[in-house]
Amino acid sequence: MSHRFLIVIVAFLFVSAVLAGQTKPATPAPKSNWTHPKTPWGDPDIQGIWPGTEMIGTPMQRTASAGEREVLTDSEFLQREAQRKAEAEFDSSEFVTDALRCDPKRGGLGNTPDTCANGVSIGPPLYWQDRGTPNKQASLVVDPPNGRIPPLTPEAQKLAAERAAARRGHGPADSWEDRSAWERCLTRGAIGFLPTGYNNGNEILQAPGYVVIRIEMIHEVRIVPLDGRPHAGAGIRSYNGDSRGHWDGNTLVVETTNFNDKATVNNTPLSSSARLIERFTRVAADTLNYEVTVDDPMTWTRPWKIAFPLKRDPSYKLFEYACHEGNLFMVDALQGARAEEKGGK
Amino acid sequence: MNALQKTALQIVLGSAGMLLVAWPAVAHHAFAAEFDIKKPVKLQGAVTGMDWINPHAWIHLDVKAPDGKLVSWMVEGGSPNVMLRRGFTKKSLLPGTEIIVEGYQAKSGENRANGANITFKDGKRLFLGGSNPDDPTREVK
Repeated sequence: MSHRFLIVIVAFLFVSAVLAGQTKPATPAPKSNWTHPKTPWGDPDIQGIWPGTEMIGTPMQRTASAGEREVLTDSEFLQREAQRKAEAEFDSSEFVTDALRCDPKRGGLGNTPDTCANGVSIGPPLYWQDRGTPNKQASLVVDPPNGRIPPLTPEAQKLAAERAAARRGHGPADSWEDRSAWERCLTRGAIGFLPTGYNNGNEILQAPGYVVIRIEMIHEVRIVPLDGRPHAGAGIRSYNGDSRGHWDGNTLVVETTNFNDKATVNNTPLSSSARLIERFTRVAADTLNYEVTVDDPMTWTRPWKIAFPLKRDPSYKLFEYACHEGNLFMVDALQGARAEEKGGK
Repeated sequence: MNALQKTALQIVLGSAGMLLVAWPAVAHHAFAAEFDIKKPVKLQGAVTGMDWINPHAWIHLDVKAPDGKLVSWMVEGGSPNVMLRRGFTKKSLLPGTEIIVEGYQAKSGENRANGANITFKDGKRLFLGGSNPDDPTREVK
């Protein structure tokens, strides 16, 4: 009985906290009795599975017309909710109805003569995708204040033009190197926490002196030392870079350098002097605020920052990612391009 | 649903292209490089097995050719994690189950296809989203 009584008390406190939060939506996290857990060796405990799924549908950047407004208006939020509801209806339709069939006359991605014939899209069915929970955050980019990635430096623009020129004259799959690093099962990019269409599992594990960060999509794992050792020598470079961490109060700060020239953010390769500074702050039992500052003065005209919350989901299981084993795409794209060449295209 | 919500939903449904815009930017790979829009296929056959592998599962099926011979095909599925989280299990598509696949053949001419629409013989869709824990419509079903 005493247990049941305790559950009632806890439930009451929880409901009170939720109601308090509802009456003051503009204030930060409502006060609660939650205290930050510690690991047995005394570090702040941020371990667990923190999928990015909920943030799917929040755009990377704001439209220029949104200005410095970080939060959606009520009508913009209703539209985001309506979009989510429409997706759910499409996903859960019991039969393939006309609404689920594409139309080349409709225009837009997926609805062109190149991607749709007889109502059947060449793209995958929509229900392959994970869906987010509508929120009021206008964009994942929070700094600069207009929520837009700053312009590339003249040097980075020149490099981008050179890459585009080198691509000219190539077919879509002359070589495996014509396909993206993601399609080649190498990396999705230098910021693995960014929400994506599916496989958004992120796991954090801690041991004395180390934090392990495991990203489900393409299986990207970093083992981050916390003992203050210096970064690897400048000659050692990699797709995920070289991470070092430390605690700033209860916030884990991870600084990553030593990227190779193929590590990208928003499809732009980072320069050799790029630094990513990530901050992980647990603000509630089930909420971990994630921030990453992109500091690469060779590439962007100013540092910029992405920030969004991650929700803890102990029920989420990361599925093994032997990406090459199942990646028949590369075989099909390369063989398909060769078949088209033989056909005289 | 209030009037404003209804209007917002109509805006979204009225421009269904918006829904499709979200997809190609986040897919692991470009389907147009793998499959051929000029090779539409409608395959009917019995499931023989399934590979639960990342980045995408594959469904194997035997399709009866006009001459009566059985021809093996592979059809690309979603990522195992999405399918599992949507309630799809190893029992959902047992060997012997008859399915109909509308999609496109691989450009290479191999017997591989995408499965834009996969249905059972009565037209019911293969992967229903109704069991998705994130699905807001789940409660009212």
